Amino acid sequence: MATTPNSLVLEISGVKIVPQSNYHSGNSVKVKLLPNTKSPIARRTPTIYGRTNTPRGLQQIKSSHMAAQNVDSTDDRISRISSSIRVIADFPKPGILFQDITTLLLDPKAFKDTIDLFVERYKEQNINVVAGIEARGFIFGAPIALAIGAKFVPLRKPKKLPGEVISEEYSLEYGTDIMEMHVGAVQAGERALVVDDLIATGGTLSAAIRLLERVGVDVVECACVIELPELKGRNLLGDKPLFVLVS
Amino acid sequence: MSACKEDDPRIDGIQSRIRVVPNFPKPGIMFQDITTLLLDPKAFKDTIDLFVERYKGKNITAVAGIEARGFIFGPPIALAIGAKFVPLRKPKKLPGKVFREEYDLEYGSDCLEMHVGAVESGERALVVDDLIATGGTLCAAMNLLERAGAEVVECACVIEIPDLKGSDRLKGKPLFVLVESQ
Repeated sequence: MATTPNSLVLEISGVKIVPQSNYHSGNSVKVKLLPNTKSPIARRTPTIYGRTNTPRGLQQIKSSHMAAQNVDSTDDRISRISSSIRVIADFPKPGILFQDITTLLLDPKAFKDTIDLFVERYKEQNINVVAGIEARGFIFGAPIALAIGAKFVPLRKPKKLPGEVISEEYSLEYGTDIMEMHVGAVQAGERALVVDDLIATGGTLSAAIRLLERVGVDVVECACVIELPELKGRNLLGDKPLFVLVS
Repeated sequence: MSACKEDDPRIDGIQSRIRVVPNFPKPGIMFQDITTLLLDPKAFKDTIDLFVERYKGKNITAVAGIEARGFIFGPPIALAIGAKFVPLRKPKKLPGKVFREEYDLEYGSDCLEMHVGAVESGERALVVDDLIATGGTLCAAMNLLERAGAEVVECACVIEIPDLKGSDRLKGKPLFVLVESQ
């Protein structure tokens, strides 16, 4: 067989090549599912290695490829999601590597997969409330709420919500900020998710947990697209579990 | 001129879930609060469905949502019709290179920004917000999209305040709303 020894071809089923453009700058966000998170899909689709320039090799790849293409595995979806996130250096200030999810939102399949991964995890969990943290938490929280039949509760910066509110103060690197929720949005005993695009230090998420718990809500889990593990945000969440797609 | 979906049976449920808060953010304003709509999963779903039914099959490639309440209605519409979602934000929130559009307020001015490269020339776009009042913000949103070469097909809002004639500020583009409010 006239193939060069180094012509190994990696075929990952079910992933379309995302067109490269000037806008999609390369980045290296690592992908992994964290050890204490359950993958929503138990089965794994095998990654298929093979040489494409031998007839039999091609045959094997094609049939496996087609079988696997019927369902995108969790790993395939996460890989696409991760690579659609753009990293912007020195924003909002020097030294920070900002994880920009707006590029993920420009890829309809990656955005849909993001929501699906959360919905698959939560739809059988009797979640009554999805609380989304302004403003990027709205983008992910609202579709999740709709898909699982839960109410959506926006948690907002001060003076945005028009009705009577309860407020929770939380620390920033310098100073403090305030998060508000409408009185009556949630009832004691309801089961809630808190959703944001990213967890860094965990300050914002822990404020959201406190707000909900003050009115007797059971916060089941926090869900984010991205975690920055070096900032140990998990530690601020107390006994509440965290589920993320990309770390 | 705006198209309003009064005849659909789902509208009553949607309208009844919107809470009016007097004197917010200042005396004399009757604020249309959609957060109570979001607390009713069926009414929220009906809201999205009414937009999706109108726009799917119209080759809309981009849904632009205006921060922040446009981020609640825009993404579910985008997801359902297979379009990209483009957040239009207050200044200094978007991390990359942006187009910036200034617009007038009653007192002073404000700014809306969109990432460069978010939409490409020739794309067909919707602009989504919870409510249209004077139309100033929606007009700025349309300008951003057009500067990037996109075609704004329609503006879509849950609520319109018709007395404020916002639909006249949409540069001739159509407006679609579910509920009209005084």
